[in-house]
Order: sequence, then C-alpha cells, then structure tokens
Amino acid sequence: MKVEVGTQIPSLEIPSVDAQKMKTMAALLRDPYPIHWDAEGNEKMGIKGKVVNQGPLNLSYLVNMLMQWQGQDCIRRLTVDFTGWVLGGDGLSASGKVIEIHGDADTKLARCEIWLERQGERLLEGEAIIALPVN
Amino acid sequence: MTASEEYMMSLVGHKFPGGKRTIAHWENFLLTDCTTSPQLKNGLAHPIALFHIPIQGAQTSITELFELGKVKDVGSVGLDGYDWEYFQPLREEVEYRCDGEIIEVERRLTKSGKIYDRFVFSIELYDEENQPVAKATSFWRLRRGRVES
Repeated sequence: MKVEVGTQIPSLEIPSVDAQKMKTMAALLRDPYPIHWDAEGNEKMGIKGKVVNQGPLNLSYLVNMLMQWQGQDCIRRLTVDFTGWVLGGDGLSASGKVIEIHGDADTKLARCEIWLERQGERLLEGEAIIALPVN
Repeated sequence: MTASEEYMMSLVGHKFPGGKRTIAHWENFLLTDCTTSPQLKNGLAHPIALFHIPIQGAQTSITELFELGKVKDVGSVGLDGYDWEYFQPLREEVEYRCDGEIIEVERRLTKSGKIYDRFVFSIELYDEENQPVAKATSFWRLRRGRVES
C-alpha cells in the first residue's frame, strides 16, 4: 500500500488495559510508585479501586500500532506528551496519520501524528518518525 | 517542606554514574508481553525498553530520581512526555553503555496557582563499537502544591 501524506495508520484497539501487567511492569522497571499497583491506596487521588498504567505501557500501544504497520524496526523517533491517565480496565484506541514524507535515495521517512484515546478523549499524543521501505 | 528552587536548580548538570546494561531475553519477553504485542523477531527488543534500560544502565533508578527531586506523596509525580530517538533498533544480549544527566529544571506555576518543577533528564546509549544507538529524554512534573501567600 502506498504511503503518502494523509495516509491513516491502521488503528489498534486495546479492549481492556490489564492491571496485572502493571505489576509485572513495575517489577521490570523497578518502579516503586504505588499508583501502579496499590488500588486501595489511590483513594486520595479519587480513583480508589483503580490503578494507573505506566507511561511506557501507554506509549507501547502506539508503538505496537506503528510496528504492525511498517515493521518491528521501523521507529526512528517518538516525541509524545502525556495528557491523561490510563486506568486499569480502560478500553483504548491507538491511531495515527502521516503528515509529512521526506528523505533521499537511501532513506524515506514518514512523520506521523499519533494519539491514544479513550472514548474520544486523547490521553497521549505526539509524533513519530517512521522509516519506510525505499523502492 | 517543598524542595527549594535553589536546590532544584542545582540539579541541572547532575551526571549519573554511567555504566553498562544488557537486555536479557527473559526481561524482553516479559516486557513485550506487558505491551500485549506478539514477541519480536530476530533478537529485537521492544522499543519501550528505552524507558528503563537507560535509567538502570546509567546506574540510577526511579527511586533515586524521586529522591533527587524530593518527591514525597503519592500523586506528586506526573509524566509530561518523552523524546526518544533510535539510531539503531534496540536488541537483546547487546551490552549498551549508558551516560546521561539532568539537563533541565524549571519551577513553574499552573493556571490554578500550583507550583511544579519541570524535571528533565537525558541518557544516551552506545553499542559495543561505541556507536550511538539511542537517546532517551524524559520530562517529569514534580508537583509542589499551592503558593503560600
């Protein structure tokens, strides 16, 4: 499929964020911040019974979308802003579109707008630079 | 007590000890599983390893970064953003040298009158041939509460 400015990246749906994976992630990251695994302790933040997904996991859904689109080694740069929490049990949608293509005879790069949303609310947004196949 | 602005500004230029870090197959497997992605091929590491591998490889930790930033309460740290550059894909079983520092601290005020510190650190990865592999810059928000009048 030809990639050009305006091309929509096939979206990736995350039906329900798994709170158990946040515990594994906390161990891998050696992350002591309890908001990721102590649901009862989150009462003071107004989300008792819920845990907050780690930022890298939020970004991973966009990364997975990009890798499914252009291959597992396609990512050259990710520049993102976190604008809201993702909570355990959330259903999410990862989306993106091409906003610029540049390069030369040896490289072809797509600059893409990417975003992660929950029922239309953007929780993470930014840009990705993606390597495209050179014909 | 809120960390003084003078103290926070003194953190700019704080270099992490630096060191080496290899992504083991088992941890990449678990990390990739956490993302819900199928496992990657040809020894590739999941790109989000660029969060914790630089931190751990530079011989710091999230705990130490919280201590440096004088983080105390649950909810007092927020993640504002990342700027991650990949010059090569990350791979399992490659020893990466990791060097970095705190590059920016700025005390700011929210629209609702609460103080926070923008806390930015950046770590670069090099491969065994000393070629640049990636650069991870993280932007954190350290919330300090309301301005006292």
